[in-house]
Amino acid sequence: MQAKFVHGKILHNTGRGIFYRMEVAIPDRIDFVPGQFAMVSGWPGNDPLLPRPLAIFRSGGVRGKGTVEFVYKVVGRGTALLSGLHAGDPLALTLPLGHGFEFPGEDRSWWLVGGGVGFSSVFPAAAALDGQRADFEIFLGARTRDQLPPGEWIPGGAVPGRVHLCTDDGTAGFFGTAAAALRDRIDRGKSSGLARVAILACGPREMLKAVAELALPLDIRVQVSLESHMACGFGVCWGCVTAVRDGEKSVYRRVCREGPVFDAKGVVW
Amino acid sequence: MSASGTFGYGLEFTPFYDISRLGAVIVKGLSLLPTPGNAPGRIVETPAGMLNAIGLQNIGVERFVHEVAPRLEDAGAVYVANIYGRTTEEYEAVARRLSEVPALAAIELNASCPNVKEGGISFGSTAGGLSGLTRRVRAATGKPLWVKLSPNVSDIGAIARAAEEAGADAVTLINTLVGMAVDPRTRRPMLSNVTGGLSGPAVKPVALRMVWEACKAVKIPVVGIGGIQSAGDALEFLLVGAAAVQVGTANFRNPNACVEIVDGIRDFFVREKISRLDDYRGKLLLP
Repeated sequence: MQAKFVHGKILHNTGRGIFYRMEVAIPDRIDFVPGQFAMVSGWPGNDPLLPRPLAIFRSGGVRGKGTVEFVYKVVGRGTALLSGLHAGDPLALTLPLGHGFEFPGEDRSWWLVGGGVGFSSVFPAAAALDGQRADFEIFLGARTRDQLPPGEWIPGGAVPGRVHLCTDDGTAGFFGTAAAALRDRIDRGKSSGLARVAILACGPREMLKAVAELALPLDIRVQVSLESHMACGFGVCWGCVTAVRDGEKSVYRRVCREGPVFDAKGVVW
Repeated sequence: MSASGTFGYGLEFTPFYDISRLGAVIVKGLSLLPTPGNAPGRIVETPAGMLNAIGLQNIGVERFVHEVAPRLEDAGAVYVANIYGRTTEEYEAVARRLSEVPALAAIELNASCPNVKEGGISFGSTAGGLSGLTRRVRAATGKPLWVKLSPNVSDIGAIARAAEEAGADAVTLINTLVGMAVDPRTRRPMLSNVTGGLSGPAVKPVALRMVWEACKAVKIPVVGIGGIQSAGDALEFLLVGAAAVQVGTANFRNPNACVEIVDGIRDFFVREKISRLDDYRGKLLLP
C-alpha cells in the first residue's frame, strides 16, 4: 500500500503504566504490514520541528472510515507533547511507511522477541500469526514488572507456555533479559530441532544484536526491526541510515525505507 | 521548487501528489561516482530546526541519467540537477555528462555543502574560488547554470556578484548554516561529522536578509531558500526580490508542503487582486 499524508482526529489517548495507547480516526481504512510505522505530529508551532515515528499497532475502520492505533512511551519532547493530547485533537500522519516483517509461506515456529516498547512492532506480527493459527511464542523483556505491557494487550496470550515475561530485576517472570530467555529456549529446542524456527525481534539495539548472535550461528532466520533518528520517514532525507553488508562491502541503507525490518544476517552491528 | 537534498530524486513524492505541479524538482546532489555519505548519526533536531551531516550520499551521475532521469520525465516533472565534485575537473565532468540529458532544465552547482570537505565549500567561501569554479563549469555545459551559495561568508553580495560575473544564470541561496550539537552527558558531538548544516524555520531570518542583499547585488534571478514552511514565508522571499523559492526541510514534516505553498501563494494573489508576480516581487516597502 502506498503511503499517504492524512489529517486525523484523536479518538482516545490513554496512559497505562509507562505506555500510552492512542487511537486516531483517519479518512480511509489503511492496511499495513506488521513492523510498518507512521510519522506523527500533533503540536502547534515549529518546536519540535519533526514528526515522530510510531509503530502501527492496529488499524481498522468500516465504510470508508479508518482508524489507526499506536502504543508509545514518553522518551522525549515529541512523545511528551503527544501524551498531552486529548480526544478530538488533530494529528498529521504519514502512513504506512517502511518495510515490515516478512512471513515466508512454509510452516514454521515463530519466536517473537520484544524489548521495552519494541512490543508495539512485535504484537501486530503476533496478531497476524494468531489469525493464521500459526505456532508462535512471545518473549517480552523489560527492566521491571511495571514496564511490561498489560497482559490483555498480548495477542493470543491465553495459550499456556506461549508468553515468556522477562525482567532485569526478576520482579516478574524470567529473571534476566529476553535474549537470555531466548537462549534457554534455543537450548531446549535443540533436541526437537530448530530447522523451522524463525525469529522476529524489535527492541534496543543491544538486545537485537544478542538475539542475532544467538540464533544466526544455528541457521535460524532472524528479522530485526531497527530504530533510528528520522527526519522524514519516507526515504528522502537519508538521515536514518544503518550499515548493512552488501557482499564483501558495508553500505548504508535507510532504516525508514529499506527497513525498519532487516534480515539480521546483513546488519553490521 | 523543491530544494536539493530534501526531495530525494523526486520520485519518492509521487505517492503524495503530481510532482509536475512544481516549478521544478531539484534532485539530490550528484557526484561523478556514487558516494557512501557520512557515518550515522547524521541528523539532530534543534529548536525550530535540524542539523544534518548526510555527506552527499548519492547514486552517482550515470545511474541518475539511466535510471532516474527518464522516470522523472515520465512523471512530467521539470527537473534541475544539483551537482558537486571533489575537484574542479569532477564538477566539469558531471556538468558535461548532464548536458547530454535533453529534458534537464538547468544545472545547480553546489558550491556550498558544509558537510564534506570536497562538497564545494572550499570553492564557495571566497569570491575568487567561486568565480574560478563557476567559469570552468560554465564552459563545460550549455545548460542554464545556477550557483547555490553558502551563507557561511562575510559578504553574500560580493559572492553573488562573483557568480554572476563568472557566467551564472541564477544564484540560489542559502545553503545550510554550519552548526553543532553536543551531548553534555556523553561529552560527545551528536553528529559523526562533528558539525552539520542547520536548516528549518530557525534559519529563515538569516536567509531572508541574505536573499535581500543578493537581490540588490546582482541582476540575474535570485532563488530564495531557507526555512520556508508556508506560503506566507515564501511571499516574504518574493517581496525582498527573489524570482522563485525552493522549499527544503518543510518536506520532511509534511510531504505535501511544496504544493500547499504553491496553492497558498496563488490564493494570496487572488485575494489581494495581484495579477502578475512582478507586481509584487521585490516591492518591499522600506522605512
